[in-house]
Amino acid sequence: MSQLHIILPAKMDNLGNFIQSLSMCLKQHEMTAEQIPRVQLAVEEALVNIIRYAYEGQTGDIELRCGIADDQRFVIEILDSGVPFDVLTLPKPDLHCSIKDRKMGGLGVFFIQRMVDELLYRREGDKNVLTLFISRNNGCFSRSNQDMHAGA
Amino acid sequence: MEIDAKKEGQAVIIALTGRMDAVSAPQFDKTVDDFIEQGETRILIDFKTLEYISSAGLQSVLALAKRLEMISGTVLLSDLNGAVKEVFEISGFSSIFTIFDNLDAAKASI
Repeated sequence: MSQLHIILPAKMDNLGNFIQSLSMCLKQHEMTAEQIPRVQLAVEEALVNIIRYAYEGQTGDIELRCGIADDQRFVIEILDSGVPFDVLTLPKPDLHCSIKDRKMGGLGVFFIQRMVDELLYRREGDKNVLTLFISRNNGCFSRSNQDMHAGA
Repeated sequence: MEIDAKKEGQAVIIALTGRMDAVSAPQFDKTVDDFIEQGETRILIDFKTLEYISSAGLQSVLALAKRLEMISGTVLLSDLNGAVKEVFEISGFSSIFTIFDNLDAAKASI
């Protein structure tokens, strides 16, 4: 499936490199201007979690692969060799409390879940593998097309 | 991300351009820290030309709001668009912040 495959050290300095490479791949697959920042957001949040927490102060790498899955969805795999961390087990943040009571943090994983169609986690050997699936003509894009047709 | 900050009347206006992510958000923290240390308590953030924000950017805005609340200050936001507006809505931040359609409306409320 892989059409993009990069491995870089899990450092904040490399976030821009990962996102730029991802963005080129998204454009090559004709993702829309609405979809691209959503996918960038999901991937940034996943990468930042790894950079901040996975290696507990030690060094390590992040591997990013992107391509088209068998079912024609866009698929992204993010791998690290850090401590096991299943993002799907985190509780949803409380979105409705006041500024004073609102907790710092907790939004990253929530964004990953909201920005993709399907999110899978597995531990494979000593690696965390996060898989993100994105439909190439998802609901939002289809709806805006319908609106345009309705308006025409 | 570019940060254009200026004092205008009783408020500091901070215009953000580009991408507010985990790499650039600390620049914003530093800018607002400096203003608060100088005694500023009213901060208006203009998002008109900000294209992208992640949870790191939202946390910076929330941290600022918490600090200003402790010193009876105010933070107002204006002109959220596209992906930035969507992120504020999904996170619930749209309902806890005072957000104006444009900078002039925000200025008029100070």
